[in-house]
Amino acid sequence: MGLGKGSRQALPVVPKGEPSWLTTKLDFVVNWARRNSLWPMPFGTACCAIEMMAAAASRYDIARFGMERMSFSPRQADLLICAGRVTYKMAPVLRRIWDQMPQPKWAIAMGACASSGGVFDVYSMVQGIDTIIPVDVYVPGCPPRPEGLIYGILMLHEKIKGESITNPALRAEDPDAAGKPNLPAEVIEQIAGPFGNSTKQNRVSGFVATRALARPSDRQP
Amino acid sequence: MDEKLKGALDGLEAGPTASDGAEPEQPSAGADSAFHPSVAALREKFGDAILHHEVMAGDEHVVYVPPERILEILGWLKNEPGQEYDMLKDVTAVDFGGGRPLQVVYQLWSIPHRRGLRVKALLPLNALEIDSVYGLWRAANWLERETYDMFGIRFRGHPDLRRILMPDNYAEGHPLRKDFPLRGRFSRAEQTRRALAMDVVDHYTAEEIAIGLGNEATASGTESGATAHADGSADGA
Repeated sequence: MGLGKGSRQALPVVPKGEPSWLTTKLDFVVNWARRNSLWPMPFGTACCAIEMMAAAASRYDIARFGMERMSFSPRQADLLICAGRVTYKMAPVLRRIWDQMPQPKWAIAMGACASSGGVFDVYSMVQGIDTIIPVDVYVPGCPPRPEGLIYGILMLHEKIKGESITNPALRAEDPDAAGKPNLPAEVIEQIAGPFGNSTKQNRVSGFVATRALARPSDRQP
Repeated sequence: MDEKLKGALDGLEAGPTASDGAEPEQPSAGADSAFHPSVAALREKFGDAILHHEVMAGDEHVVYVPPERILEILGWLKNEPGQEYDMLKDVTAVDFGGGRPLQVVYQLWSIPHRRGLRVKALLPLNALEIDSVYGLWRAANWLERETYDMFGIRFRGHPDLRRILMPDNYAEGHPLRKDFPLRGRFSRAEQTRRALAMDVVDHYTAEEIAIGLGNEATASGTESGATAHADGSADGA
């Protein structure tokens, strides 16, 4: 149209003479880095793992959230995704994997069985992995669709946004707690009570005070 | 689409109807009318030791034998020319509850003759012991371990009768017995505590641990197993 050759000058990214720095909050930039490069440790024990694999594959592609690297070693992971039912025989394995992960670390209980034992209120099944390890996000479903898992991951992103590295209690870890149950015995009794944990999961998780929001449209870009 | 759905629901209300094919074979009321060459041969050979013969699900021939003669009868079925049940498909047990005896089930298959036979032995609850058939079929090793683990049936002469599914120090009993409570005998908190207190030695023998550490040569007994552990750690470092 009317643009002459002379007007097509490239604009410098940093204009000459301007300072090349910006100010931000340390918490903001640390949380930004942490939440956008979560390395998940897949702990897939049942059908939920199929949906987790689908979430990692090209159609749903959790690489869009910085999670392209599934970490098959707990020592290079910071997000444990427990997908599927966990037996008591598997419980020490899960606990050891959690203990091997370095801080900062988070855990997602994917599906009804990992969250509460699901329909498996039987002698061999852990009634929710929160009796074994601390859990940040519970994803309901049997199994959850990949969208469900991705939504859980986005909720975890919101939760990480609210953390602060100046709060030493948040990431503190008691070495004596390694290999021990995550909840006191009476709480385990209470939640697994006569009809199993699946009927009273809210007693443990309750309404966790995070900045996770219910509607995706409410989230900050 | 709606019409089609409506038709389907009408069919649901009408209940089951006969299929177009041939009449399904009715289970024989008189068991003896159904012929199985091995059953006839067993009757001829062992006479009264063949307590009962029935046909399940159309063509599954089940033979009941006394438990004290199980090894003799199964050995004959395996080795006798004309029978040659050379494949042991399954060993399991059934508890029907109510104080009724446990049934130990042997599912046999003859590869040369292409026929199957199910042999059952009834064990009263106060004498849960039967001869191991490991000497006849090596496949019986883990199958009998599983049956022992789940039902508490002891197999005499088994080379390595340990639990196979539940951990070695599982103290709540045998889960597939009818008298076993669905959620186990201990409380959930106690089960969780016990589960997390498990170590590898609760699941594996010292020999198996040594093999896992790559020291197969030294794997013979507890003492060398401990040595192998130290070697393995050194290798890893």
